[in-house]
Amino acid sequence: MDDKYDLRGLIFSTFDDLIPPLLDGTPLEESADSIAFGAATFAAVNIVFLMLFFSQFAILWIERKAVARMNDRRGATTALRSLWVGENGVTAGEWWNMLPFGLGKPIGSLNKWLNNRFGNRDETFATVDRVNNRSWMGYSIFPGFFQNVADGMKFLVKEHMVPQRADRLIFEVSPFLIVSSTLLILGIIPLSSGMYATNPDLSILYAIAIFGIAPIGVFFAGWSSNNKYTLIGGIRSAAQLTAYEIPLLLTLLSVAILTGTFNIIESIHFQHSAGAWNLFLMPLGAGLFLLTMIAEVERVPFDMPEAEAELVEGWWTEYGGMRFGMLFMAEYIRTYAACFLFTHFFLGGWHLPFQGLISQVPLLGDLYLLIPGAIVVLLKSWLVFLLVFVWARFSLARIRTDQILEFGWRILLPLAVLQVVLAGIYRLYLFDPTAMKDTAAGGWAWNAMGIPMFVPIITTAIWLGIFVLFLNDEDKSGNTERMFHVYTEKPAGTYVPGQE
Amino acid sequence: MPMHPHAKPNFRNLFWYPFKITLITALRTFPIFGKLFGKRLGMGYHNTSHPEFLDDGSKARASKNSSFNDISQQEFAPDRVTSDLFPTLWKPQTVQYPYERLEDMEPWLFVPGNYNGRIGVIWETCTACKLCVTACPNDCLHMTTELRVDVLDGADGEHGGLGAELEIGGYAAQLIPEVADTLDDFNHVTAHADTPDQWRFAEVLDLSGGTATVRWNDSGMEQDIAQSELFVADDQIVSGRIDLGRCMFCGLCMEACGFTSFFMTNEYDGMSGFTRQDLWFDASRTRVLPSVHQEAVDAELAKRANKERDKRARKAAKAKAAAEDGA
Repeated sequence: MDDKYDLRGLIFSTFDDLIPPLLDGTPLEESADSIAFGAATFAAVNIVFLMLFFSQFAILWIERKAVARMNDRRGATTALRSLWVGENGVTAGEWWNMLPFGLGKPIGSLNKWLNNRFGNRDETFATVDRVNNRSWMGYSIFPGFFQNVADGMKFLVKEHMVPQRADRLIFEVSPFLIVSSTLLILGIIPLSSGMYATNPDLSILYAIAIFGIAPIGVFFAGWSSNNKYTLIGGIRSAAQLTAYEIPLLLTLLSVAILTGTFNIIESIHFQHSAGAWNLFLMPLGAGLFLLTMIAEVERVPFDMPEAEAELVEGWWTEYGGMRFGMLFMAEYIRTYAACFLFTHFFLGGWHLPFQGLISQVPLLGDLYLLIPGAIVVLLKSWLVFLLVFVWARFSLARIRTDQILEFGWRILLPLAVLQVVLAGIYRLYLFDPTAMKDTAAGGWAWNAMGIPMFVPIITTAIWLGIFVLFLNDEDKSGNTERMFHVYTEKPAGTYVPGQE
Repeated sequence: MPMHPHAKPNFRNLFWYPFKITLITALRTFPIFGKLFGKRLGMGYHNTSHPEFLDDGSKARASKNSSFNDISQQEFAPDRVTSDLFPTLWKPQTVQYPYERLEDMEPWLFVPGNYNGRIGVIWETCTACKLCVTACPNDCLHMTTELRVDVLDGADGEHGGLGAELEIGGYAAQLIPEVADTLDDFNHVTAHADTPDQWRFAEVLDLSGGTATVRWNDSGMEQDIAQSELFVADDQIVSGRIDLGRCMFCGLCMEACGFTSFFMTNEYDGMSGFTRQDLWFDASRTRVLPSVHQEAVDAELAKRANKERDKRARKAAKAKAAAEDGA
């Protein structure tokens, strides 16, 4: 079902109303519709891009705060107010006076006003508030939310250095290859049915293709830096590429088979119309998607290309300043895009949980549908980021190259093939196309044996059961002695190569 | 090899346990969860699910009503800092060493061989080859001799009675059964103290028939005592001192030892003092009790007894042949 808030339609109708009257009587009159369309598209693309881009602050903040929780500290607490706050009218070092031609004068005035208006609440606590980076009235609302702005400003003013013996052209080009291809991913990610930049028919294929460009840039960067660490990082990235890309493609293929479309928005519509999110129809596929996506965006535990313990910073060791900042940002945008894609493919996109049932309740149903789809998508994506990417990052240790190759080829690939077969079976034999309904109530296309929604329920139950079986696989017969190690498994001096 | 079930590399330990631990760690920083679940929030974090691994003191500390463990029991703890705006957000609990110990709370971290702690030596099987002394880059090992029972001991010894015999001017030892009985329960890793000595040493002054006249080293008193109560002791038995102030715990000594007598234990404390001399560890601080490694010691001693027996047999045969030649 379409989201109630059709921002895209609003923009297009506004431009259609505004532009043609402006162009009346000019040589452009005949192409007024095309101009209106172009301008509206430009506006929509920019608005959606800015929303996606700046909502990224949230995931950086989530990750910082989560790691702070784990590490027994509060994390970055820089308050936005630290830009202007100071003691006795001295504001933040008066940095604007260093700008040429008096360009900083308005900034100074603004700071003075801010300091008067939102200065320290009480001179007694001024130092405490400033040192503790507290905000106005001594409290910090989202401590450290704008830390990334500070980081970005720092990156921008740092020197751009290229290693003397690097392949300069490639070295300069590869960050732009990575960043631009990454930003292109955002183009096809809808925030809701009425809020997206573009909607190509084969947007799933586009997503796969555009995700696959950055690894080339990674390899270029690793090679051109002329540094053994970057080179090893780049080669590792290339080596593990096929191990997870093929299972990822097969998983997305099974999504396409199940939903019967290669279009992201249509696959979201399918999930609502058929009555069940894909997560409950293919939990295996969801798990595979997350695993391979973690590898795709090179996050722990699959981050061998930038294994900081052994490779300094891996393939981006030699990048500093804003080049590093952009690569870092690109990394997080890819992660963010992976969260969005999981939300769209498996969590029903902008649809709320149990939307079909709750929307039928009088009054409450209407209120439920008033929640903007974009908010739902953002919340789901942030939750996926926290519960999957961040949780995995702080729980699991990095695995070795040979382990990810073995894992990819011998476990993920057969499971992905199995998922493709399962998706085909589900679509052909368990799915009832006539029961699809694109209304607020949704359809009931997954009934079986006379039980409503029997297919997703039994599927989820089976996979949960398998998971729980694995979780309880404890070896009760283990030695329960307190642990000493006063002897070694293989005493020193007793090992002869070739002999067991 | 003793290994905690949580150290086995299966799906549960490699995948689920790390997730569970981080989840608990994060959740228990929110007292709303801590108070809601109360005593259940430990969820095994303080090893309450495996009490068999805890000694009595740790068990009391990690119990479900302990003020160390249960957030709802705590009135004030310095590591639970709150902020003004989010008074419900607390900082995580740290391990309250020395009241809590990490090996009690997260025993799965203590995988054998993953940590080079204090040096431990099975002096019974040491042959004084000095390979460890040679290997030590910091020159912190020093080999000496000390007065101890000869484990290849006298007539009733379990290894064939091939050891030395009591002689005038030599040393003898008497077993103190009260101490010896406690040694089976003595935990070298958690005791943080010298291993109690179950022997009482004396100088042999005279031997006559079944009795021996001895002067006890501890009291200086002379006494006539049945020889059967005495064990042969020797003041030339290998021993060593280790200057832990110089030790960097590299473990090269352990690797150099060809007799598996030299180990790095996983004990990480009790290595402090107010003077540098406190860091000179005598053999009593490095001794690993045979009760922990009885099989290894028995095998080694049996090997040596066999060797000694062969040597004596060869010597006897040689003497016999020489006597025949002479005749």
